Amino acid sequence: MSFHLLFLISIVAGFVGAMSGMGGGIILIPALTFFGMDIKHAIAVSIVSVIATSSGSASAYVRDRITNLKVGMFLEMFTIVGALAGAAITLISGRKFLFILFGIVLLSSWVALFRQRHESWRQAVHQDSFSHWLELEGKYYDESVGKMIEYRGSRAYLGGPLMLGAGLVAGLLGIGAGALKVLIHDLVMGLPPKVSTTTSNLIIGVTALAGTSVYLAAGMIDPGLAAPIILGVVLGATLGTRLLVRLTNQLVRRFFLLVLLILGIEMILRGIWGT
Amino acid sequence: MDHRLKNEKKVDHFDMEILVGYILLAGVLISAALLTIGLIWHWAIWGNLRFEHSIVGMNFFEFILSTLHQVFSHATRPRFILNMGIGVLMLTPFVRVLASVFYFALKERNWKYTLFTGFVFCVLAYSLFLR
Repeated sequence: MSFHLLFLISIVAGFVGAMSGMGGGIILIPALTFFGMDIKHAIAVSIVSVIATSSGSASAYVRDRITNLKVGMFLEMFTIVGALAGAAITLISGRKFLFILFGIVLLSSWVALFRQRHESWRQAVHQDSFSHWLELEGKYYDESVGKMIEYRGSRAYLGGPLMLGAGLVAGLLGIGAGALKVLIHDLVMGLPPKVSTTTSNLIIGVTALAGTSVYLAAGMIDPGLAAPIILGVVLGATLGTRLLVRLTNQLVRRFFLLVLLILGIEMILRGIWGT
Repeated sequence: MDHRLKNEKKVDHFDMEILVGYILLAGVLISAALLTIGLIWHWAIWGNLRFEHSIVGMNFFEFILSTLHQVFSHATRPRFILNMGIGVLMLTPFVRVLASVFYFALKERNWKYTLFTGFVFCVLAYSLFLR
């Protein structure tokens, strides 16, 4: 695959990944395998680039004070353990399985997001004592409505263990699994959409690092191949991050729905019929 | 230091958000700069951007050590820069977690979160030693 193609694919992947909080991998892996790269190598190189996307955009979100650091750092404990296990499973599993699983993860994210599409975020009425003990409250300034929004994260006892699964998927498929993390934040823990996307971005970085070390140890990360991909993804993500803070929630959501649906169907079909 | 002083003025105090935000930013910028230099250097020497090598399985610290050994061989210098770029990138979240441990322990004296981030740090350190 030529340098220019790798670079171009990566810019697009980084852009969409940052806007959605899903990480670049969700576009990158289908694209790389489409142009003939082996799916396991695509997964390995993707997860390195996910560290870059996540750290780059998280740095902006964190300084804008939208990210909830405590929610992030509590949930990281679960995602990194999941990611280590997931990456280890990928090394020993078959390629068809990886394609089909990738498709299923994309489609299940789609279904969950689709059912949610008409509801906008509501403040959780009750915060359980465990989440209160974890200090999961927060507030941020929302540019699109022009006011300070306060919220209380809840049901951390459920969110934590579910994050183990999100981490597993992340390590297994070399993606940020941001869509899953955002879902857990939105539906289980009652965080406002912008807080959930940006906090998921922060968690994705360490989760991807855990996965990367497994793939590096397996000799699957080639710096010559990773370099243009990382650079492209960072460039795309920088542009995507600038856009997210300005867009309304509904518009962002509708765009993800379309992307998730197309990629999900494509990956499953390739898993079934072979590549 | 300069950055830190500027931001103390802007938000009145140095806090976790500033610390984490700038660690992440610095890590990504340094890594991107190294990768760019590595690619341009390689292109200047060889006239193409084809890298035909893949690394053998090694853990993060072996990877860094073997990279440092390459400093002494002229032919592989662009590759050395690329490897350092990857190394810095991998260290970025790791350093961010380490800084959080210290921040929670020393500045906020929040033992709950010192313990949480400490756990994350240990698991990551373990994973970097994987072979």
